[in-house]
Amino acid sequence: MNLLDIRNLSIELESANNSILAVDRVSLSMKEGEVRGLVGESGSGKSLLAQALIGVLDERWNVHADRFHWRGKDLLRLAPDERKAIIAKDVAMIFQEPMSCLDPTATIGEQLEEAVDDGQLSGYFWQKRQQRQVAAANLLHKVGIKHHELCTKSYPHQLTEALCQRVMIAMALAGRPLLLIADEPTAAMESTNQGQIFRLLASLNQLKNMSILLISHDLETVTHWTNTITVMYSGQFVEAGTTEQIFNAPFHPYTRALVDSSPKANMQLPAKSRLMTLPGSIPILQHLPIGCRLGPRCPRAQQECVHAPKVTNYHGHQVSCHFSLKDTY
Amino acid sequence: MSVLLQVSNLSKTYRLGGFWFNRKEIAALEPLSFEVNAHQTLAIVGETGSGKSTLAKLLVGAEKPTTGKIKLNGQTLQTGNFKQRCQHVRMIFQDSGTTLNPSLTIHQLLDEPLKLNTDLNETKRSQLIRETLQKVGLLADHMNFYPHMFSGGQKQRISLARAIILQPRVIILDEALASLDPSLRSQMINLLLDLQQQMGLAFILISHNLGIVRHFSDNMMVLYDGKVIEYGKTNDILNNPKHKYTRKLIMSQHLQLLHR
Amino acid sequence: MAREKIYQEEEFPTPLLQLWHNFRQNPIIMIGFGSFLFLILLAIFAPVLTPYSSVENHLDKLLLPPAWHKDGDVSFLLGTDNLGRDVLSRLMHGASLTFGLSIIVVLVSTIIGVVIGSLSALTTGIKSSFLNHFLDVILSIPSLLLAIVIVAILGPGLENTLWAIIMVLIPQFVHVTRNAVTEEFEKDYVLASRLDGANSLRILSYSIFPNIIEKIISQATLAQSAAILDIAALGFLGLGAPIPLPEWGSMLASSIDLFYIAPWTVYLPGLAILFSVIATNLVGEGMRHALKVRKES
Repeated sequence: MNLLDIRNLSIELESANNSILAVDRVSLSMKEGEVRGLVGESGSGKSLLAQALIGVLDERWNVHADRFHWRGKDLLRLAPDERKAIIAKDVAMIFQEPMSCLDPTATIGEQLEEAVDDGQLSGYFWQKRQQRQVAAANLLHKVGIKHHELCTKSYPHQLTEALCQRVMIAMALAGRPLLLIADEPTAAMESTNQGQIFRLLASLNQLKNMSILLISHDLETVTHWTNTITVMYSGQFVEAGTTEQIFNAPFHPYTRALVDSSPKANMQLPAKSRLMTLPGSIPILQHLPIGCRLGPRCPRAQQECVHAPKVTNYHGHQVSCHFSLKDTY
Repeated sequence: MSVLLQVSNLSKTYRLGGFWFNRKEIAALEPLSFEVNAHQTLAIVGETGSGKSTLAKLLVGAEKPTTGKIKLNGQTLQTGNFKQRCQHVRMIFQDSGTTLNPSLTIHQLLDEPLKLNTDLNETKRSQLIRETLQKVGLLADHMNFYPHMFSGGQKQRISLARAIILQPRVIILDEALASLDPSLRSQMINLLLDLQQQMGLAFILISHNLGIVRHFSDNMMVLYDGKVIEYGKTNDILNNPKHKYTRKLIMSQHLQLLHR
Repeated sequence: MAREKIYQEEEFPTPLLQLWHNFRQNPIIMIGFGSFLFLILLAIFAPVLTPYSSVENHLDKLLLPPAWHKDGDVSFLLGTDNLGRDVLSRLMHGASLTFGLSIIVVLVSTIIGVVIGSLSALTTGIKSSFLNHFLDVILSIPSLLLAIVIVAILGPGLENTLWAIIMVLIPQFVHVTRNAVTEEFEKDYVLASRLDGANSLRILSYSIFPNIIEKIISQATLAQSAAILDIAALGFLGLGAPIPLPEWGSMLASSIDLFYIAPWTVYLPGLAILFSVIATNLVGEGMRHALKVRKES
């Protein structure tokens, strides 16, 4: 049974003249204990998708889907409040710049204690304060901060970004979620610290069987830490499959271009030669192409690409393209 | 290939404020020397706090070095004398959002270095601006737009246009490619390679992305805590790292390559 | 029906047009803006527009009520005061005195404050601190009290009150300018400009001022409402404009004894002061709001 099953999720933005389809029929499914990567460049709608999952988009955005199942329960039939309650209990999210996500006027200890779930504390009400502090210290131990006394007394600006990100993960773990959505968690960090955060996420995944949805714009780093990958472009679903399938044999021209621009592929190229790129740039929201949105840039585009392609499935490797590269492998 | 830029014994120490008794000195950069030739790229790698931004500022003339000199084509560059320097050494900054003045059009933005440093008349300046914009892959009509109408990749191209419009010899890229998406980054790298071939530029690339460094640079310098711990050809350093920190850096980014 | 635009065109407004567009959204602010413009026109063209001169005495029509009273006369629309002078003409002349002079006062103090603030931001260390703070002692004294002190030293009269109010308003501009300029110096485009070989004056005028002018203007509108009230208050106390001049504050002071007999001579100048202060505040508030909205988008 899938943990999360979303089919054809679309997010529309109502603007003055017409409505813009920021996310166009994207499907996503996750199993328990799976680490899935959601890869897309800026403008691909991946952060929007995550925010729609959690339910924090405001009324300007119109979200609708064919199917939205969480652990077998159909969430579309429920009222929005009940849906939010179920999601809030089991799903947690961490964001991009951790230092700015923490309250700068409160110490780390206070913020962690606030995040600790009251239902997990047993005991009389005079014991709760002590238990809350112990629970906060335990959370810090879980993310690898051994000496929690100094950490709990400091303010966010006194810590490094990597440490703040660990604190954010600790706060996310407080609710014992089943799914952790990490929205570009390491964008603001150096590469040495990035490895630490990813290793932490991988160990949490293995120890607690917690699924992770890792959102990033860098295909290369994502391939080392995930089991499956979904690729999005400009709000549309492009390709999904296991990491080996995507990286070694990408079917869609866009995924192929992403793989070609990664450093590993460039190791084969001689130094200072031209890299293989797609011409053009990402379309802006006001001028989205009709049909397949990669059309204007795609080297294999033809007449048919003005109609949006359907998703075809080859042994678990889904791709949405009229002229996929399947035959070249 | 002649030596274009020669740096000898350059260092920078900062003196913290405070009274005369307890003035502390922080050595941001220990003395270092290197050379860059035309058509070549030097990459400077290091994490934050290693002194690479200080080195960039010293090279471009924004700060005065405590010791050492910088020679361009045999001529010593003086600090503070921006007019002499700016024709030859230009810089592209990291955050494209704040490098462009939001109340000026692109035409005015690119006109400023021309007005200050050359004595071309109005039509010739417009002509030069038009050509430069086309060289970086933008349209001549973009002259009349304001910076907030462009995307991130386009803003970096405008910064590049501002850098090459005076036909310099050396361009310093201060983490200019870090904030771009991978596909835009590849396009920008292709553009920079083309320009290097056409104009005979030397690039000094400050980055911590070893993939770009490997592809784009001939020589490499690794900085750690203000000191140079490795300097030599890129391939030599990446294949045989001598220092522990270099090895750690390669491992954290090349870990990927060993896995698969 | 023919349409001018068939294709949806995308418009790219300049930052100033964006500001104007945001400003126009709120109808109340536009009313305030219209009133502000009306007052400026009145201040400039008052001598041409007034039906009577402001000092002409109509001794046969003393203390005439406004036209809507049963005793009033439509040729003296807002009545006359105890010396037979037409209140409407006096109010209109007063606009050029109270309102017009407040604009001049704000302009002068803006210019002086901006110059000192820019100098302070360009230098560092003790010089900068000195320039920034040497006028702060003025901030510690209430503005009216300081104006009274200065007038007591220099003697009463309109010019001296103006100098007093100018001096009171300068420190705020110094601080605002210095903070804004220092903040702009951190930005990369100023560094790029400096690297191009621009000298400090050119950097200030091309790169920095277009970006801080809006902050200065919103501070200027704040200062203007303070200036209007200060000029009126000093006039009320008798330290400002001499009696025959129709300044709103001194009109209030000279009519206050007649409050029970002829209330219109008191409340009409008061309403005029209220109207001008509200108009100024609305314009300032609208500008600040438009700036904030533009920054967010």
